[in-house]
Amino acid sequence: MFVAALCGCAGSRVSLQNPTIPEPLIEKLQISVAARYPSAFDNFVHEEQVIGKEKWTIDLGGANRLLFTQLFGSMFTDFMVVEGNAKPSDLQIDAFIEPSIDAFEFSVPNQSQKDEFAVWIRYRIKIFDGAGVQVANWPIAAYGKSQSSTFGGDEALRRAAVLAMRDAAALIIMQMDKSTGISKLRDTSARSNSAPPPVIPNDEGVQNFVAEGIRDDSG
Amino acid sequence: MIPVNRSELPYKIALRVVFAVLAGTILSACVTSRVEHIKEGTTGIAEGEAIVIMAKSYHLGNETEEKFIECVGDSIGRGRDGLRVIPNQEFVDALFPWFEPRTAPAETKGLPALMSRPGVAESIKRQGVRYVVWLDGDTDKTAGGGSMSCAIGPGGGGCFGFAWWQNESEYEATVWDLDGLEDAGTVSADFSGTSFLPAIVVPVPLIARTRAKACKGLADQLKLFIVADEEV
Repeated sequence: MFVAALCGCAGSRVSLQNPTIPEPLIEKLQISVAARYPSAFDNFVHEEQVIGKEKWTIDLGGANRLLFTQLFGSMFTDFMVVEGNAKPSDLQIDAFIEPSIDAFEFSVPNQSQKDEFAVWIRYRIKIFDGAGVQVANWPIAAYGKSQSSTFGGDEALRRAAVLAMRDAAALIIMQMDKSTGISKLRDTSARSNSAPPPVIPNDEGVQNFVAEGIRDDSG
Repeated sequence: MIPVNRSELPYKIALRVVFAVLAGTILSACVTSRVEHIKEGTTGIAEGEAIVIMAKSYHLGNETEEKFIECVGDSIGRGRDGLRVIPNQEFVDALFPWFEPRTAPAETKGLPALMSRPGVAESIKRQGVRYVVWLDGDTDKTAGGGSMSCAIGPGGGGCFGFAWWQNESEYEATVWDLDGLEDAGTVSADFSGTSFLPAIVVPVPLIARTRAKACKGLADQLKLFIVADEEV
């Protein structure tokens, strides 16, 4: 430890302890939804060596699962989390959500020359209809910052990360339906239950439903 | 040669430090100030009504220090004539997600739409919030100079030199009346001062506490602004 401190490569490890969001003041969407959390999302750890400075490890642990489960539970009248390789078509649902993290970045006071820690998280939310066809691929960028003089180094970074996650939650509540059209999947699902099976839309048909200006570059 | 009692050295150093701290506490540099307000309408606050002190969103580039917001809230709530101040986190949580940095209304013309959202007006009424005060601004070091060197050895330690720096605290509080859903006006506080740190063996700080004084000045003026039911 002493040697590490001498060579300037001592590390800081920040873990998020079950952050939660308050119960949102919104009307729930009348839709049944399931979500699956990929393992990289479920146990996200970000490591970064700040050039010439110390190494930071930010362990989000189960924070994403907790936050998104709480969030989606508040947004939809019927919500469940599925594990493993469950297929949307086997679940009797209107929509299936698979969130992931595209990028995680942060800055410390040494870098920004400001008395603050900042965190940026870029989430990606993929939405599938009840038959398992992808209908939206929505990237969202969330941001949080916290002053180090108020909370101290590790605590300030932890708080900035929590604020970024909370920012993502607010953005999802406000924009999700507008950007992805998830509530329309209920009508689609109802129609497909009462009418003969429709023709499965081709790629162009899917693109019409994807949020404007968003390209599915996930491969 | 003067005999030196080495066991007294730590006490001498401690005494110098205590002296420097006391001097710094008692002495403070001059601060110039300007506090003013512009009222857009009549104000006033009834018993049971409360205010909330918020920072303007950092998404808009605002950098108001969290400690300053706490300080203003504490100052307004203190004393016999103190107003009821709801902690801003409590207010923001109760209205999630409508007062988050990304989603909070930037102008009063967004208030009617916000109030019509489910549960928002009821939550504000339940908390008794009459005014939301949005703080903007920060404290910056605008200039500085001088030099100082310190040394410590077996025979003691000391500093020699002179340093100075200038701080400017500029804050503006915009007051929204949630009763009439209108802008009640603004209170601004500009405080500036130069701190000095001369040192001949012991540094004697003369600190211009611009942020602390801006907090007190802004809080006192806000209290008057809200309570006094004067015409524009």
